[in-house]
Amino acid sequence: MTIPLTSNRRGPLSGLLVLELADEKGQFCGKMMADLGANVIKVEPPGGQNTRRVGPFLDDIPHPERSLYFWHYNTSKHSVTLNLDTADGKAIFGMMAGIADVIIESYAPDYLTSRGLGYDTLSRTNPGLIMCSITPFGQTGPWRDYQTSDLLHMGAGGQMASTGYNEEDVPDAPPIAPGGGNAWHMGCNFAYMSIMAALHYRHVAQEGQYIDVSIHEACHLTTEAAVPNYIYRGEVVQRNTGRHHSVGPSFASQIESSDGGWVQTTGSGGNPTPRRLRGLAEWMDTYGLAEDLLDDKYLDLDTFQASLPHINSVISEFIKQVPQEEAWRGGQKHGYPWGAIRTLDEIVEDEHLKERGFFTEVEHPELDRTFTYPGPAAIYNGSPWAISRRAPLIGEHNVQIFCEELGLSKGELTALAEGGVI
Amino acid sequence: MTKPHALDGVRVLDFTWVRAGPMATRWLGIFGAEVIKVEWPERLDSFRRNIVTVPTGIEPGPNSPGMFADQHVNKRGITLNVRSDKGMDILKRLIAVSDIVIENFSSRVMQSWGLGYEEQKKLNPEIIYVSMAGLGQTGPDHAYTTMGPSAQALSGQTFLSGLPGQPPAGWGWSYMDDSGGMYGAISALTALRHRDATGEGQHVDLSQMTTGITLIGSAFLDKTVNGRPSRRPGYPPGNRTTWPGTPVMNNYRGPTTAPHNTYRTSGDDYNAWCVIACFSDDEWTNLVNVMGSPDWAKDAKFTSLAGRLQYQEALDQGIESWTRTLDKYDVMERCQNAGVRAMPVQSSENRVEHDPQLKARGMFSELEHPVVGVRKVQNAPFRLSKNSVEINRHAPLIGQHTVEVMEGLLGISHREVAEGYNDGTFWPSGMPMYAYVEEALR
Repeated sequence: MTIPLTSNRRGPLSGLLVLELADEKGQFCGKMMADLGANVIKVEPPGGQNTRRVGPFLDDIPHPERSLYFWHYNTSKHSVTLNLDTADGKAIFGMMAGIADVIIESYAPDYLTSRGLGYDTLSRTNPGLIMCSITPFGQTGPWRDYQTSDLLHMGAGGQMASTGYNEEDVPDAPPIAPGGGNAWHMGCNFAYMSIMAALHYRHVAQEGQYIDVSIHEACHLTTEAAVPNYIYRGEVVQRNTGRHHSVGPSFASQIESSDGGWVQTTGSGGNPTPRRLRGLAEWMDTYGLAEDLLDDKYLDLDTFQASLPHINSVISEFIKQVPQEEAWRGGQKHGYPWGAIRTLDEIVEDEHLKERGFFTEVEHPELDRTFTYPGPAAIYNGSPWAISRRAPLIGEHNVQIFCEELGLSKGELTALAEGGVI
Repeated sequence: MTKPHALDGVRVLDFTWVRAGPMATRWLGIFGAEVIKVEWPERLDSFRRNIVTVPTGIEPGPNSPGMFADQHVNKRGITLNVRSDKGMDILKRLIAVSDIVIENFSSRVMQSWGLGYEEQKKLNPEIIYVSMAGLGQTGPDHAYTTMGPSAQALSGQTFLSGLPGQPPAGWGWSYMDDSGGMYGAISALTALRHRDATGEGQHVDLSQMTTGITLIGSAFLDKTVNGRPSRRPGYPPGNRTTWPGTPVMNNYRGPTTAPHNTYRTSGDDYNAWCVIACFSDDEWTNLVNVMGSPDWAKDAKFTSLAGRLQYQEALDQGIESWTRTLDKYDVMERCQNAGVRAMPVQSSENRVEHDPQLKARGMFSELEHPVVGVRKVQNAPFRLSKNSVEINRHAPLIGQHTVEVMEGLLGISHREVAEGYNDGTFWPSGMPMYAYVEEALR
């Protein structure tokens, strides 16, 4: 038996059937798989997943079908409702698991096992099944059952120890947890990666397996130089305003432009050379702000390198006199890897992203409206990454999946609804 | 019996450098892919010049930076002069026997070498080619170059981190390099699945900057659906979910709640901070109990979510007066044992030396490297029941595996390889060779 519902039929994951039992911790992994072509069925508790209660909401009117948070993380998926605390719910889930390629789950360790739905049980009838658990600390260890949140992971994982302000810029500032819910993304990115590796192994060895992903470890592994600095030098990094952590003082690379925006110059990043500086200085000179940077002495590599602090400060003073857009693009034209600190207000207008097909119009037929979503970050020239549909309504595909695919009658479906199973 | 690797038999030709690309191939290598890093001594990977992570007492050189040693485990390394005809010919032979070609050069560098996807496909019809330029290979700004900090600035990631009314705090490192690396691996593995299913390779044109936008999706929809501007009072709200004295508004991290903040703990250590968050009245009541039910916390104004949000300043001050009396791990244990969400703000030292969870899960193992010695190495955040994800190979010394790869993989004779060292194909003419290279040549 197969479930022919499919999302992006031409996508690289087309043909895979994925069951997702996931809240905020695992929904992004399911989204990636669905947008990339897998048929992802989100198995929600009756009444809907708790992530439907998280804002922001359409027109700021809270409702489980109006959560923009849910919308984003559940594109291209299908939805069924199922109460896994009932015998019927378990039996139906077992039937679906019997034909699934992948299960993504982010319940507490032991939740599924205690309901007789652990990997060992499910794989007995479906040895090719790949099951990936995405949990705060993994399935083992002293912190296994601790409760967390995005903020807590950013604290424990090391993001906060690296992010914040210099004392002279913002006295008494706390370490800062960057926004956006990225702890879950880090966990999901690694979960996705390991599922793909397991799929390749299944292709070769014809067997599935169980994967245990720890969000804490995913965060810990996403702090760049902080850990190598300690392992190799015994040094602990400090936080700097709007730039890299560092062991000692470092050059301020985030500069406020004349219109109150900010430009990130990456400090000495991008391997600056005397030749590039000459081009940049000629451009700065058209504003009358090149100071001494056109001096031939900077064509000498040693002088150039020894003068970098001075050169950087002249460039910073220049940026302060120029509007953000003009400054960062001007730097780019002269080979400097600068970036504007953009907000979404600017990003949604970006011509480059438009041309790369990033902005994706997604229909919401029940609202008779179409909204613009963030689309693919990569262009696959053989099998497109594309959102195929809006997030599902609660149990939107119950009839299609339970009746048409699994063979339950409409009467049985009614009984299940009345019994609190779906 | 050791477990097989998920990617046994998958060969990756690795042109990546700096951070994002090398992290992509680090993960592929941990899954067991045979990663061959292509380098040239006259154009070193910048992390081979990363003097600040060379261990004290070790002579700086291309084989001594700690950062390089950490991000290149489980890879082999060859040196090849791709600017010579002979080098280019060998490069093409390597592409012909590889499964995946991956690079994070600026846009269209491979194309300028005559090795764009169409040319690679002629050499190897099933090749998977992943390019990781900051803004991708197409579009009006494709030629722009980015580093992690500018990529995350352009993606909107930087702006949504920090305290209201202060400069953006951003991310204290190249988050888009770490994430970009994950997406490089994700792209390669996704295309590999497609090839397993269809027999077809393809080009994946990844834009690292763009991945950052997909990671702030609910903020994106708040803009495109609700028209809400990002520049508004009280946003971003630091570590809180909403800033006191400004309109209550979701901040895209999760539910809007209080308490939800950082608090100082005992001692004067730079990282003597903890984080606490309560997502229900019950969790708040549990916290009140853990704190010993102080009088301030029993005030009726804190019993409801609305009250806790309205009096967040007083709430946070009260909580901090308690956390300041305790070690950050003590706060965590007391809270977690009582059903309250709390964790320490952990430094790198805390994570390497103290974190009992990372220790119990085997995050660090020891690996010997001929130049930097026996060091801790960071393992993977996933365990696969059927596959090994161990790190068993130290980062390659520059050119360490050239002879092995040329003879073993391409079947080039020892004499021809030796010639290649004389004519500048495998090592720059006139540059002194390392003893291990001479040894391999013997």
